[in-house]
Amino acid sequence: MINYHTVYTTCPYCGTGCGMLLEVMNGRLVGVLPCKTNSINQGKLCIKGWSAHEFVHSPERLKKPLLRKDGRLEEVEWDEALSFIASKLKAITQTHGPDSFAALSSAKCTNEENYLLQKFTRAVIGTNNIDHCARL
Amino acid sequence: MGSLREAIRKALTAGEVAGVVGLILEEGHPRPHLFTKEAIDELERLVVGDVRYPLAGVLLKIHRSDPEARLGIVARGCDERAVLELDRNEQLNGEGVVIFGIACTQEQANACQCAQPYPSSHLFGERAAPVSDSERFDRLESLSKEERFQYWMDQFGKCIKCYGCRNICPMCFCPDCVLEDNDLIKTGNIPPEVPIFHLVRAFHMAERCVDCGLCEEACPAGIPLRTLYKKMRNVVTTQFGFTPGITKEGKGPLQYLGDGEFGKQEGH
Amino acid sequence: MTNSVEELEDAACIMIIGSNTTASHPIVAMHIFRAKEKGAKIIVIDPRKTHIASYADLYLAEKSGTDVAIINGLLHIIIKEGWYDKQFVEERTEGFVELKTLLEEYPPARVAEITGVPEAQLRQAAEMFAKTKQSSIVYCMGITQHTVGVDNVLSLANLSMATGHIGKWASGVNPLRGQNNVQGSTDMAAIPNVLPGYQSLADDAVVSKFEAAWGVTLPRKPGLTLMEIMGAIGTGGIKALYVMGENPAVSDPDIQHVKKALEALELLIVQDIFPTETVALAHVVLPAVSFAERDGTFVTTDRRVQRIRKAIEPIGDTRPGWQIICDVAHAMGAGGFDFASPSEIFAEIASLVPLYAGISYERIAENGIQWPCPTKDAPSTVFLHKDRFSKGLGTFKPVAYKAPAELPDEEYPFILITGRDGFHFHTGSMTRRSKSLTAQINRCYVQIHPLDAKKLKIKAGQMIRLRSRRGAIEVEARITPIVQSGSVFVPFHFAETAANVLTNPALDPVVKIPEYKICAVKLEKAT
Ligand code: SF4
Ligand code: SF4
Ligand code: SF4
Ligand code: SF4
Repeated sequence: MINYHTVYTTCPYCGTGCGMLLEVMNGRLVGVLPCKTNSINQGKLCIKGWSAHEFVHSPERLKKPLLRKDGRLEEVEWDEALSFIASKLKAITQTHGPDSFAALSSAKCTNEENYLLQKFTRAVIGTNNIDHCARL
Repeated sequence: MGSLREAIRKALTAGEVAGVVGLILEEGHPRPHLFTKEAIDELERLVVGDVRYPLAGVLLKIHRSDPEARLGIVARGCDERAVLELDRNEQLNGEGVVIFGIACTQEQANACQCAQPYPSSHLFGERAAPVSDSERFDRLESLSKEERFQYWMDQFGKCIKCYGCRNICPMCFCPDCVLEDNDLIKTGNIPPEVPIFHLVRAFHMAERCVDCGLCEEACPAGIPLRTLYKKMRNVVTTQFGFTPGITKEGKGPLQYLGDGEFGKQEGH
Repeated sequence: MTNSVEELEDAACIMIIGSNTTASHPIVAMHIFRAKEKGAKIIVIDPRKTHIASYADLYLAEKSGTDVAIINGLLHIIIKEGWYDKQFVEERTEGFVELKTLLEEYPPARVAEITGVPEAQLRQAAEMFAKTKQSSIVYCMGITQHTVGVDNVLSLANLSMATGHIGKWASGVNPLRGQNNVQGSTDMAAIPNVLPGYQSLADDAVVSKFEAAWGVTLPRKPGLTLMEIMGAIGTGGIKALYVMGENPAVSDPDIQHVKKALEALELLIVQDIFPTETVALAHVVLPAVSFAERDGTFVTTDRRVQRIRKAIEPIGDTRPGWQIICDVAHAMGAGGFDFASPSEIFAEIASLVPLYAGISYERIAENGIQWPCPTKDAPSTVFLHKDRFSKGLGTFKPVAYKAPAELPDEEYPFILITGRDGFHFHTGSMTRRSKSLTAQINRCYVQIHPLDAKKLKIKAGQMIRLRSRRGAIEVEARITPIVQSGSVFVPFHFAETAANVLTNPALDPVVKIPEYKICAVKLEKAT
């Protein structure tokens, strides 16, 4: 059975924040339409917005956690990657103190993710060493 | 509205069509949607109104992914014209498409300066009077040649090369677009080469443009594209007695050049 | 932005400085086009004659890095001529006398000499901006990415306060944020010196509020900034780095140095959607989903908190970024990360951040809300500083012109400007995997003025080696009068020929932004 619907979202590129409709057909993105009733962009987009869906299904997407083993990044399960991080992080911060950790957050990630990463840095590790690349 | 909804419900439940393209209201924003029997309750949120999306383009997209499915469309005059032209250009089988026609309001017809603000069949709503003159068009025609040239050069110079005019156009169906051909129009520049970019598109649309105005609505630079394409339509009408979306039978004048295969070949 | 993007349409005069608007923020440019259509005067100040500059009523071709001098020069004229807003200055500001004293040193003749802008144009611009009722300033990275970035911003604030062009409909100071959530990541305190919502680390009441909510004791010492973190790897004590969705191996200045630093880490965790240059250096890589596979919120350049929505299922074995952080926290045995959805996280944010207190997923389902929004029934704040500044009176901060950190000399005779190309974004990890965008352009170039090209016998399309004190890249020549003679421009999206091999890591002393906009280079023919 064919399925076509759109999902109302915000452009992932510049800070203008244009409203867009992602066209979804049978579980895949097939296009973008500018939202006509959003007051910022009023039915228009720039070329980046119009092609915002194109990279999503790229074959180059990372699809599995990777862990460096013998100098090479190898695919592993989530549990292995997460417990590696936890034990390494604990060892480092126990030996060198919380200020030996730093986090770089992203101006491309959501508020929720930025909030959580700074909460993790401040509340779990115990350092204020967090910044993002927004100045760039 | 009620009778339109009922007609669609009947067609869907009876299996006459596998899906109907129309607008649904979600999160306060009307947007294109494929209504199906499986989610028949969604019909409650079917809307028609001022907001216009390229429904014939959406129809084509769905058709391409599932050529066997018989589809319906909630169509204004321009959507129906687009279906007719897509059929003539062998992109859709028009006979297979069920039109749930809706008439535009007089206000919309005036805003569009539309010569046929209603579809020819299966009509819901009152027909508005056609608006056959376009004063925007006439105003430009009254300028001298030099003034007109300067006017268009200034307008084209604003272009930010978003390709919105092409992307939203229900009649832009070529798999490879000449507007992305570096040999014809140098890529990677803002504005694109003026006036080539815009004139190439205008010529390309001459026998296809169904005068829906979606391109102009999508243009961030505010270029009066619809007026430009109206001019092309006029030329084709006077020279060949053919008006895209209106002339019912036969091929478009340029289609003869390519032995009816123009639409398919031009992508090279 | 103190105003909303749409308000710009109603401005009667718009001064665009250091923003290539049609390329970097095209939909903001749309509103500027509409303003112009309605009769607004457009002033563009930029060392490059950008697309929007060719559309301006007045284009001031400044020398790179002379913004403070220009703004001081405009203010000098405005005050001398009595065009400033006396009532606004009296009622809402302080420090005007000090400003006036400093401005004595910026008579048009001197400013013309520093900036290269003729006196007559300075006068025209001053009059146009000051005497129009509703004037707005729009600026971008051309203002901030300098060692004097903060000074530049302060000068613009001086200009807007002196003319009373702030705190009104369609009238204010409007920085355009380069990335979709620059505003939000700062709001959320992904910065080392404040807690979420710009709440002070030095304020005991604030810290106790967060400590109670999170059930921990918080560190009070401000952390390190990005550039300081990079400097502190190895010798300075940083051993572990968690990079979420960024690519410092391409985006930071002097990247050869940055790569060495990243390699020296004991643990580099990278969370991303593509195998970027930084991913290649990681010890562990966490695959995240794209914007189309998760829910959340972004904040626009005009402070509008908007939704993004999940449209498709995660591709492969990827997870949403918010979930990954929770998973890492759980693996560490930490509490406080039991969220079932982003809306629950947002509710916690709203409970701790007064600017967001009135915002919820339900309220922004249809349209975004512009902060500050302190209560559940507070409306969107369309423009800031209506009757008062957040600190009460606005303080003029006189700033003197300082030359950029690295200027051309005999060995490196050209100024290099780096910036965006209209068809790509940031380090290109997304746009270079989009066929419509790579169809436009997929390799780096350098813009060279025709006079310089002639002198150096460079032809369009030829490969040119650009060399700075830090490194060299080879790129294709584009010959164009967009750049001034003596300057060249390179976009920074192309990792294989990264402009940041060349750039100068000299920082603004206050906010530590590197001087991406100016460094000295020489040109050699590569073939
Ligand atoms: S569509 Fe273009 S202008 Fe709008 S947010 Fe996206 S990148 Fe920015
Ligand atoms: S062009 Fe306008 S008036 Fe004419 S049918 Fe389409 S929407 Fe209706
Ligand atoms: S009016 Fe524009 S969008 Fe509509 S068919 Fe003609 S060219 Fe296409
Ligand atoms: S929609 Fe307008 S700005 Fe965009 S490419 Fe077409 S003419 Fe240019």
